[in-house]
Amino acid sequence: MANIAEARIRREFKEVVKSEEVAKCHIKVELVNDNYTELRGEIIGPPDTAYDGGKFILEIKIPDTYPFNPPKVKFATKIWHPNISSVTGAICLDILKDQWAAAMTLRTVLLSLQALLATAEPNDPQDAVVAKQYKENQAIFLQTARHWTNVYAGGPHREQVLEQKVEQVKNMGFEEHRARVALSSANWDPERATESLLNS
Amino acid sequence: MKVKLKSWTAVATWRWVANDDNCGICRMAFDGCCPDCKLPGDDCPLVWGECSHCFHIHCIVKWLNSQQVNQLCPMCRQDWKFKE
Repeated sequence: MANIAEARIRREFKEVVKSEEVAKCHIKVELVNDNYTELRGEIIGPPDTAYDGGKFILEIKIPDTYPFNPPKVKFATKIWHPNISSVTGAICLDILKDQWAAAMTLRTVLLSLQALLATAEPNDPQDAVVAKQYKENQAIFLQTARHWTNVYAGGPHREQVLEQKVEQVKNMGFEEHRARVALSSANWDPERATESLLNS
Repeated sequence: MKVKLKSWTAVATWRWVANDDNCGICRMAFDGCCPDCKLPGDDCPLVWGECSHCFHIHCIVKWLNSQQVNQLCPMCRQDWKFKE
């Protein structure tokens, strides 16, 4: 890796480890390999949101041209959010694309992602299905996001009605995650969900 | 008693007068140099923008070259103009 990228990530890594937010357990970074090209981030879902208390893992890849180009970041933990793909974890956030600036750091990226969880931008979606639900049926969106946070990110808030529906579709012979995706996308209408599962 | 000086050695220190300790781009100390240089000093000088932010010249030039559309300060995102 180019010398500037590695030197900077080494410094930033120390900076995050020492930061106040880490002390308060809000964000975390770990090395995945020894040459500082891959890291594993972790953010805690912000309080008073559907992601409250969930632990979200991020895959961070540092390009050779860092910090002149942004790090490549995606969610490894499954999440229901208008700006994050529920399939791949890809993130739509301006600072990870054309609004990146060389003075930004791993710490500010993680804090920005945490802020994205608190304030979605449904008009600039990464996941059109989620964004549509967010705009048209906020209550169902919040329940769905809370349920995903509970199931995939270890969040404390259970949605028992939704759990029962997943169980119901699962008992028809569908894999659990596929059943959850179909139900989530069908605003939890079991008939529509099974129909889409049979047609796919 | 008379003292005769046979030789003397002068020592001086210097530092850049910057409004920060580190370059926001490479994060190295301003009193050091950018990661591509070996020695701090006139070969790796600092430059200021009109927005008052300061960087190693090698770092800001690389940043400006990597920007295709607008050339903005990496700190405050105002248009970057070198301060005369």
